[in-house]
Amino acid sequence: MRYLPSSPQEDQQLLAAIGVKKAEDCLSGVPPKFLLKSLLNLPQQSSELEVLRAMKNMSQKNTSFNSRFLGAGAYAHFIPAAVDMQVGRQEWFTSYTPYQPEISQGTLQHIFEYQTIMCDLTGTDVSNASLYDGGTACLESALMAVRVQKKKNTVLISEGLHPYYQEVLRSGFASHEDLKLVSVGLQQGVTDLSDLKHKCDDSVAAVLIGYPNFLGHVEDLTACAAITRGAGALLISVTQEAMSLGWLAAPGTVGADIACGEAMSFGNRTSFGGPFLGFIGVRDAHKRELPGRVVGETKDLEGRTGYVLTLTAREQHIRRDKATSNICSNQGLIALRANIWLQLAGPRGLRGLAEQNAAKAQYLRSRLLELPCWEAIDDAPFFNEFALRYVGDWSRMKQELVREGILPGLELDTLQAPWSSQYQRGILWCATELNTRHQIEHLIEVMARFAVVNA
Amino acid sequence: MNLRSREPLIFKRSVEGKIGMDLPQLDVPPAEDTRPLHLKRKDFGVLPSCSEPEIIRHFTRLSLWNYGMDQGMYPLGSCTMKHNPRLNEVTSALPGFSESHPMASDEHLQGNLELIFTLQEWLKEVTGLHAVTLQPSAGAAGELTGVLLIRAYHLAHGHHKKFILVPDSAHGTNPATAAMAGYDVIDVASGPDGCVSFEDITDSVTGKVKRGFNSVIQEHGADIAGLMITNPNTLGIFESRIGDICSEIHRVGGLVYMDGANMNALVGVARPGDFGIDVMHMNLHKTMSTPHGGGGPGAGPVACVAALEPFLPRPVVVRDTQKIGEGEVPEHRYRWDWNRPQSIGKVHTFFGNYGMLVRALTYCMSHGSDGLREATLRAIVNANYVRSQLVGVYHLPVTSPTMHEVVFNDAIQAKNGVHTLDIAKRLIDYGFHPPTVYFPMVVSGALMIEPTETESKEELDAFIHAMKSIAQEASESPDLVHQAPVTAPLRRLDETTAARKPVLRWLPNSVT
Repeated sequence: MRYLPSSPQEDQQLLAAIGVKKAEDCLSGVPPKFLLKSLLNLPQQSSELEVLRAMKNMSQKNTSFNSRFLGAGAYAHFIPAAVDMQVGRQEWFTSYTPYQPEISQGTLQHIFEYQTIMCDLTGTDVSNASLYDGGTACLESALMAVRVQKKKNTVLISEGLHPYYQEVLRSGFASHEDLKLVSVGLQQGVTDLSDLKHKCDDSVAAVLIGYPNFLGHVEDLTACAAITRGAGALLISVTQEAMSLGWLAAPGTVGADIACGEAMSFGNRTSFGGPFLGFIGVRDAHKRELPGRVVGETKDLEGRTGYVLTLTAREQHIRRDKATSNICSNQGLIALRANIWLQLAGPRGLRGLAEQNAAKAQYLRSRLLELPCWEAIDDAPFFNEFALRYVGDWSRMKQELVREGILPGLELDTLQAPWSSQYQRGILWCATELNTRHQIEHLIEVMARFAVVNA
Repeated sequence: MNLRSREPLIFKRSVEGKIGMDLPQLDVPPAEDTRPLHLKRKDFGVLPSCSEPEIIRHFTRLSLWNYGMDQGMYPLGSCTMKHNPRLNEVTSALPGFSESHPMASDEHLQGNLELIFTLQEWLKEVTGLHAVTLQPSAGAAGELTGVLLIRAYHLAHGHHKKFILVPDSAHGTNPATAAMAGYDVIDVASGPDGCVSFEDITDSVTGKVKRGFNSVIQEHGADIAGLMITNPNTLGIFESRIGDICSEIHRVGGLVYMDGANMNALVGVARPGDFGIDVMHMNLHKTMSTPHGGGGPGAGPVACVAALEPFLPRPVVVRDTQKIGEGEVPEHRYRWDWNRPQSIGKVHTFFGNYGMLVRALTYCMSHGSDGLREATLRAIVNANYVRSQLVGVYHLPVTSPTMHEVVFNDAIQAKNGVHTLDIAKRLIDYGFHPPTVYFPMVVSGALMIEPTETESKEELDAFIHAMKSIAQEASESPDLVHQAPVTAPLRRLDETTAARKPVLRWLPNSVT
């Protein structure tokens, strides 16, 4: 086996030093009845070339597309070559959590920079080193809000949140029998403020609002904040498309007390939904209730600036069953990709890309609406996603698009959401800087052609 | 370059007008500004403006202050720092996988669904359990999923149970997880052999009595939802009475959760399903070599018995087989089954850390049943070799047979005022990453060494030599050890001030 270094002669030396004849003799601590008598019923070892062939073959069983118009929580954006080249350095990807700060300053300083940038993008005072993904970031934020708001036991979630985020919240809340999750409805594709006002009583610890929401709409956080503040609840903004932070005001500056979400858009591929990058930013007053790892600045013995994991008194290895969360790992390497990507983009790049996203999505929407088969459903401002209704045979149209190498938007009918009846036959389209005008025209041309054939 | 020179924070390098990413020409009309006035982005704070070469140098210099697996032995006990095969990086980056979209239709994701199905089959065989979910993002998420399965099972049977038992040698995630799942935690003492003690244990110094397994079972019986046990435990010792523990828990109507953090000591050698374990997680970033990435991403699949399968996170992958005719190769189609009425729901937004799953299956296929067993045996031999060479030089508080890792402590060196932290830091000067220290907490001043199977005898000998030299220094010139490290980019850092007056971001007016 190519990954196992010992030679037969060295093996003998190791065994002799231990004082046993064969490796199996080291298993004396395992009751003999539990020791396997034969090999596992699995294929035997394979060469690198054979495994590579098998995996390539499997990867090619996924349909590949020339152009993609699907977002819904996983966004394809441009990734400069420097990102992959840099994270391929062994110092980054093979190292462990930076428990030994003297030999982990690279990882620690990178996280400190990442935290700083995320604070500015979200308009909050403190960011952690990352969470698993957008859905778990919602859950951790909601649980944190309940810890901060000690006597309150209800969390409101806007129905505009990604349906999968809502499901993660529900599974996470199920075991907390003293806590309640209550939904707030939508009106014209954004959170219904009168429903929010009605439900936001003094038992409410926090309210989660999509920014932008699952349907692509820009929610008015400031208006939501006026209601939550009045009831003494915290406002949690949930950003599932972090690229929008290049276009929209930092949530913490327009009313959010906690800003969380999914930042895979910065330098990561859609990769079937993971590994992704959950983020959370909070106000300074709440920093000791923050879940997950945090890096802070300090000095070494000679007075030089360095970085360490800090606020560990919150964590499970110290607090055990009293910890703020059971999390140990974060999404270290994914956060590194995001950090490198953000530094390459800089303010001009991030703003410019975000504007291009908005421009492409607006252009796509207007071109689609020129076709007779598409209808508008709502008219709220959006960033790079929007829903339109298709009046025709979508499954046949979809087949045609796929045949042309196009991955179309998401059929909203495949989800069971409270707003489903309003969005029947809705398709959630997404356009990013990767979608060229040519791709958009090709999409339109295929649709127009298909409509003519089937007229 | 001088590795001790400091690379400043990137924010101090920022010069307005520089850019590291050019944008393509906009080929559609510019966006109409539909944003409400107050929701327009105004500025980006300290997000830096730098060119590509400057940013590459910045990160490359930072990287040089990290110790990586390819530089030398990384004997972090319980963390399983083994070689990260490069093939796994290549397969996970195959565009068919890496560009696949989680919201696409099943028919366009046949490769991914086949991969998930196949890896589940491997893990079922490895664990000897009936069903597997790959959704949990990491070990702690796997633990929580497992305990939520236990909870859902009891509730489905109309039982409201209160307690989860956790041995005192357990990793802190176990009690934290049990609490997150809404259970109260009861500690169970470990005995002098390092294993769960069936009898109560009286502390010879304080006279305090720690509850053993028998008395906890007697007192709480039917209120016990389950037990969380790590096997081999955090001392690297196989819980010799695991069979009895499982049957006792089952007798009172509880279920047994196994923390599979140390599963790399069992793969191909013994199967938790055979011990009586009901549910467990595995850390693919430990046992299956997916890289640790400076703290993630990991992956924490959960395996369980048939009785827990209905509660698994949804969706669940299903394989439909069409046999076309006699003698023909059957055709498989894969799909997600979302219709799981008893499911605990989702524990990850999508389907888990998929890129890690590709790496793990690549590892499994590379090793095969023979290679997996060989890897386990070599990991155990390497740990026993380190033990044989260092016993006596360092104190071995528990002498039960060692599996994949061995726990010493600083009892001998402490006589000269040299403690575990000093020994760990001095190893840095010798070019090694320190072992896990002060864990498990049942051993005072623990030094937990896990060499893994991918270390050669030559590297093991170099490490052993360093440990012996440090022991000698501890008795001859303890101050040398207290000063360590002296060759690292920084000396010891002040963690107390960092926690007391936290500085968690850079601000433009910061002094440093």
